[in-house]
Amino acid sequence: MLQAHSFLWNYLWVAPNLFLLALGFLIWSRGLSRHFPAFLGFAILGALGELAVFAADVAPFVSAPNFWRVAWADLLVETLLKFLVIGEVMSKLLVPYPSISRMGRTLISGFGAVLVLLAASLAGFAHGDNPIRLISGVHLLDQTVFVIQSGLILFLFLLAAYFHLQWDRVSFGILLGLGISACEHLAIWAIIANASPSEHTRTLLDLLGMATFHICVLIWFYYLLVPEKVVRKSVVPLPENNLAMWNRELERLLQP
Amino acid sequence: MTLALFLVIAAAIALVLILGVTVSRALQLSARTPLARNIEPIDIEAFRNLVNPAENEYLQRRLPAGEFRRVQRERLRAAAAYIRVAARNAAVLVTVGQAALQAADTPTVEAAHQLVDDALLLRHNATLALLRVYFAMAWPNPALAGAPVLHGYERLSGSAMRLGRLRNPAVPVRISANL
Repeated sequence: MLQAHSFLWNYLWVAPNLFLLALGFLIWSRGLSRHFPAFLGFAILGALGELAVFAADVAPFVSAPNFWRVAWADLLVETLLKFLVIGEVMSKLLVPYPSISRMGRTLISGFGAVLVLLAASLAGFAHGDNPIRLISGVHLLDQTVFVIQSGLILFLFLLAAYFHLQWDRVSFGILLGLGISACEHLAIWAIIANASPSEHTRTLLDLLGMATFHICVLIWFYYLLVPEKVVRKSVVPLPENNLAMWNRELERLLQP
Repeated sequence: MTLALFLVIAAAIALVLILGVTVSRALQLSARTPLARNIEPIDIEAFRNLVNPAENEYLQRRLPAGEFRRVQRERLRAAAAYIRVAARNAAVLVTVGQAALQAADTPTVEAAHQLVDDALLLRHNATLALLRVYFAMAWPNPALAGAPVLHGYERLSGSAMRLGRLRNPAVPVRISANL
């Protein structure tokens, strides 16, 4: 069961990507694609890319170097799409707040630059888990990308929490799924790229990574397709004799 | 191996923080009571006094250097306490303003927008001012960093009161003790 190419392995590789593809088409059919074009692109192209990597893995006519070339191409496309999704969510979060929008963008850009430097340094320190550069390169690039992604996503969450910014439900769900996936994958790729785990441990880590991605796809389904419960605020009756007090307060405040 | 361990710990901390934010958001959404009563009034005159450069210059002229540094640190500590309360109040007002954005009437929504904008700006200024105050505690300086916060706080009081009057004249949102 917990082996490479077992039923569970194949299910966890294929099913979340099929779900993600279906989610992409649902987003499109429900008209959400206008609001979240980058996430739509990620859902469709990311899922198709992963399915292509799976096909390259199981197809007997695809050689090992070609499989890794497909994996490289998929990783590059997926990385670009995920950064576009993060940018899209950041924009949705900050645009309604003009007073901190520019400051927020500057902070995130600065922090992003620091993360790129940090991730590059960490990649420089890594010794690589495979003598074949094509393979160790994918693992190191995975680690580098997830350092930057998880850092940026965490920063966005903390910025919103500090300023008490209101998330729209869909943006929050998208970023939550991406955040969980990025943190978990960062830990996995850090172990794979730096700690030289045994073949069995690697398989377990792969299964854990795929299972987490499956959960994240379900999170996206929940936040994108289940409508939010509307909380009704209670209306307080308005008394008649407070206007004078309010006026007095305002007059005092307006005095230089 | 050390690098892997470092990254795994960092990833775990990031995940815990993200999940923590998610839980606190869920709790906020389920809370129905308005938060205006959590606002702590601030004596804006006392704060103005603490950040008055002329006052600082006067103290510097009158007191020996060592004594001035000690007094200045005390004043900075007090100013920092005021700024922290102002920042907390601003956070509460952001929440109050955002709740009011759901109102049906346009004047309330406009006042709520203004309140949220002013409160966010104040929280931003308060954060920067706190950093400068802490920096000044290490190196006491006659020029304090409270002026932007003071200006922001005065504007915020106006926005909060406008919104409060529009929404509920029974409960004045009073965020300055000397008003």
